[in-house]
Amino acid sequence: MNVLRRDFVVREPLLVVILVLIAVVFSTVTHAYSRAYDRRRNQLGQQWYADGVAELQKDRPDTAVERFRTALLYDPRNWTYRLSLAEALTQAGRTKQAMNYYESLWQVNPKSGIVNLNLARLAARSGEFSETERYYNGAIFGDWAENASDHRREALFELIHFYLQRKDTSNAESQLIILSGNLPEDPALHTRVADLFSQVGDYPRALEQYRRAIQLDPKYFPALFGFGKASFRAGDYRSAEAYLSRAAREDSAGPEVRYLLDVTQAAAALNPFDRSLREADKIQRTLHAFRIASARLEACTKASGNPATLPAALASLQEPWKRWKIDANPSYLSRQPDRIESLFDFSAAVEKHSQSLCGPPTPEDTALLVLANARPSDEK
Amino acid sequence: MSATNKTLPLPSPDPIASAATSLRRRITAQLSFDEDRFFLILAVFIGIFAGLAVVCFRITMEWARLYLLGSSLTPSPLRAFLAPCLTGLFISILIFTLFSGAAGSGLNQTKAALYISDGYIPLRTVIGKFITASLAIGSGHSLGPEDPSLQIGAGLASAVGARLKLSRKKMRLLAPVGAAAGLAAAFNAPISAVLFVIEEVIRHWSAGIFGAIVLSAVSGVVTMRLFLGAEPLFRIPSVGVIRWQELVAYSVLGILGGIASVVFSKAIGWLRPKLKATPQTLQFLYPGFAGLLIGLIAFAGFPQVMGAGYDFMDQAMHDQYTWEVLGMLAGLKILATTLSLCSGTPGGMFAPTLFIGAMLGGAVGSVERLFFPHLTGSVGTYALVGMGVLFAGFLRAPITSIFMALEVSGDYSIILPVLVANTFSYLIARRLQAVPILELITRHDGLSLPAMEEKREAETLNVEDSMRPRPSIILDGAKSAAEAWPFVSHTAEPCFLVAIPNQPPAQISFGELRHLVEAGDARLLRDTQAITAVPYLHPDEDLEDALPLVTRYPLIPVVNRADLSQVLGVLDLADVMEAYRKSRSEFPAPY
Repeated sequence: MNVLRRDFVVREPLLVVILVLIAVVFSTVTHAYSRAYDRRRNQLGQQWYADGVAELQKDRPDTAVERFRTALLYDPRNWTYRLSLAEALTQAGRTKQAMNYYESLWQVNPKSGIVNLNLARLAARSGEFSETERYYNGAIFGDWAENASDHRREALFELIHFYLQRKDTSNAESQLIILSGNLPEDPALHTRVADLFSQVGDYPRALEQYRRAIQLDPKYFPALFGFGKASFRAGDYRSAEAYLSRAAREDSAGPEVRYLLDVTQAAAALNPFDRSLREADKIQRTLHAFRIASARLEACTKASGNPATLPAALASLQEPWKRWKIDANPSYLSRQPDRIESLFDFSAAVEKHSQSLCGPPTPEDTALLVLANARPSDEK
Repeated sequence: MSATNKTLPLPSPDPIASAATSLRRRITAQLSFDEDRFFLILAVFIGIFAGLAVVCFRITMEWARLYLLGSSLTPSPLRAFLAPCLTGLFISILIFTLFSGAAGSGLNQTKAALYISDGYIPLRTVIGKFITASLAIGSGHSLGPEDPSLQIGAGLASAVGARLKLSRKKMRLLAPVGAAAGLAAAFNAPISAVLFVIEEVIRHWSAGIFGAIVLSAVSGVVTMRLFLGAEPLFRIPSVGVIRWQELVAYSVLGILGGIASVVFSKAIGWLRPKLKATPQTLQFLYPGFAGLLIGLIAFAGFPQVMGAGYDFMDQAMHDQYTWEVLGMLAGLKILATTLSLCSGTPGGMFAPTLFIGAMLGGAVGSVERLFFPHLTGSVGTYALVGMGVLFAGFLRAPITSIFMALEVSGDYSIILPVLVANTFSYLIARRLQAVPILELITRHDGLSLPAMEEKREAETLNVEDSMRPRPSIILDGAKSAAEAWPFVSHTAEPCFLVAIPNQPPAQISFGELRHLVEAGDARLLRDTQAITAVPYLHPDEDLEDALPLVTRYPLIPVVNRADLSQVLGVLDLADVMEAYRKSRSEFPAPY
């Protein structure tokens, strides 16, 4: 044993040096070997990935899934390959698998905007409300490789649409308020936000956003049309008429704009509830509304041929109509001003019941219906 | 003790020579180590070598797969059908002509080398294992790279030890050190590798050996990660919260895993000896034949059973299969691995075991989700627990199986399901398959290696298991010999204990007592020279520790730890031998 130990004293430093040298040589050989294999792996990975992309473009997502899986065999950590596989799974309709795959990507990078966005879409498709909300928020506050603010904004738009689909207007509105505070000077974006405000019924904010869009581009048709529509829905027929007229002058204006303009003009001319009107004007407008409704009812009755075959709703209006035909005159209404609103309500009821039974309404019919619907309930 | 102290040269009268000598002595003292410290340094180098070898092995395996099965994840039917069969035949030629020691998984061969040839593994075997196992796994045989890596590591360690002419004792220790490094590098899990080697390979271990094994395993893993990256072989899903109700499902997984382990073991236990009993010419054909059958399975639409299957385990963990497919894959993998293993094709059992477990776990998780969608966590967690379950049931390494799941997942919340499922699996496998698979293969090979499971579970005998009750006669040290004599004169005992207050009892022989009486010595017993101090034992001490004492003293008192004067019992050689005899008859040898 002593001999052995003495041997160690003499030879140990030398042995360590030899072992280090062997390790260096062995490492060098291994390094060269692994580099050669890595090159081949990368090459194969790229090749299979390109095949997968091509398959996806040919709308063959199932084949693309296999191609991307093979690409990942050679480069398991490649984020692009993994993302593409998840996308291919989604396109192949393998929602559960795609969800699982995206979740595994989320575990690797929970701040990834694209992963959060796709998870949110899949969760929304599965009807998982809280997960959808969580992932959309992840996408809104997550990391994006490029154009981060645009992607975040788009994710926020999607979240708002998700809320609107669920008829959750309060959450949609609160997100819209956040979104409207951070918009760049782009009329299209202001108009999109304004449209959504309009959809949730927040007309003042919608008009504010349309106004900004029009300030940025005074001839921007969607904003002019949107402003007109929002004003119309808000009951401001004068503004609606003004902006719809501007919109109608634009090249891109279609029949829809012109029809709405006609309706708006009719509504402006028919509205008996304008507080600035004198009593006589109010009566005139109400009588005009009655004439429109009467024409509609007569047309309906004629169209049906036999009064006995009229639908019950319209048939029930025949008797009151006959009475109103006698009473609907300026002198009667001047004597009985409380009957003005009753007459208008009758005219509105005729329009309401006839809208689905008697063919397409004229702009004046529509305006009458709109006025009836826009009338505050306490006034009714 | 430092070796430098023993080789001091004589002082030289020349001052320059003297200074040079002093300098050399100091440098030598700084650079030299004793054999134990050198052994630890050697362990690090062995870890590095094993890590590098495993990197080369894995790359070679991948190259083989590329050339033999093509670059696609699922090979073409023609390749799937032909590659394992033809490669199997080629491997047979290599084994029968050049590398006769390369057959099998490598685990039992390493144990055999350790216990039969003092840890020596020929370098030819290592080279043979490297080539044949990479070809076998690369061609799609249902085997894994871990056990061969273990043998390659042990073989490299053995080669280094032989070149350094280490002592036989150190050589025997070096093989497990290399084995741990090889396994750790192959599995990218140093803790599991260390535990497995301790649990399954080495019989006795000390703190020094443990340190060397840990060092080599860590350096092996670090080396491997330098080249292949730190990513695990499969991506581990997040475990998440495990509800208590889910433990029922995990128990079912444990039971199914135990049954699957038994089926797997029984299949190997039935087929392997039958194939080994056939003529050599037939045995030559078996790897090719096994390859043909595996090719058929792949051809039938289940190429996932080919090779180690880590990529498919990854897919199972991420819920990419239905429960029917998962169950089918578990069954087919048992079949394919049984064929590959029994045919003698080189390759390991680790990866297939994990594959079967992952598929089984995934299937149980998926089925539970069908019936209790609100309860089930991630299917990946079930797959992960399933791996541990098969490891516990089939390889019978319960401690490693628990730590493996923890190490691989890196999440301690998985501990409860792992414990529950592994316990069920282990107990069922033990109950239905008395002999563990590694022991079974050892027996098939006609070897007698230490049975680690028995050793782990061998009952330790304590002093209390063999001591007799407190003797009726204990002499009072505060009395004279004449006063004590009437109590002992009629007995046949050769010696008696003498109680002394607040002290352990002493002893006096019958002859000495009679001599005192005859001499009329009126002194108290405790004051006489006739009593002798005797060593004492406590009831909880190992019986092994008592053995040297009972051979030197006729009677050893067993005393209370809190009051040394309180005698609880006595022990002599006959009692000890009787206890050992009884314990042997209660636990008969398995052979």
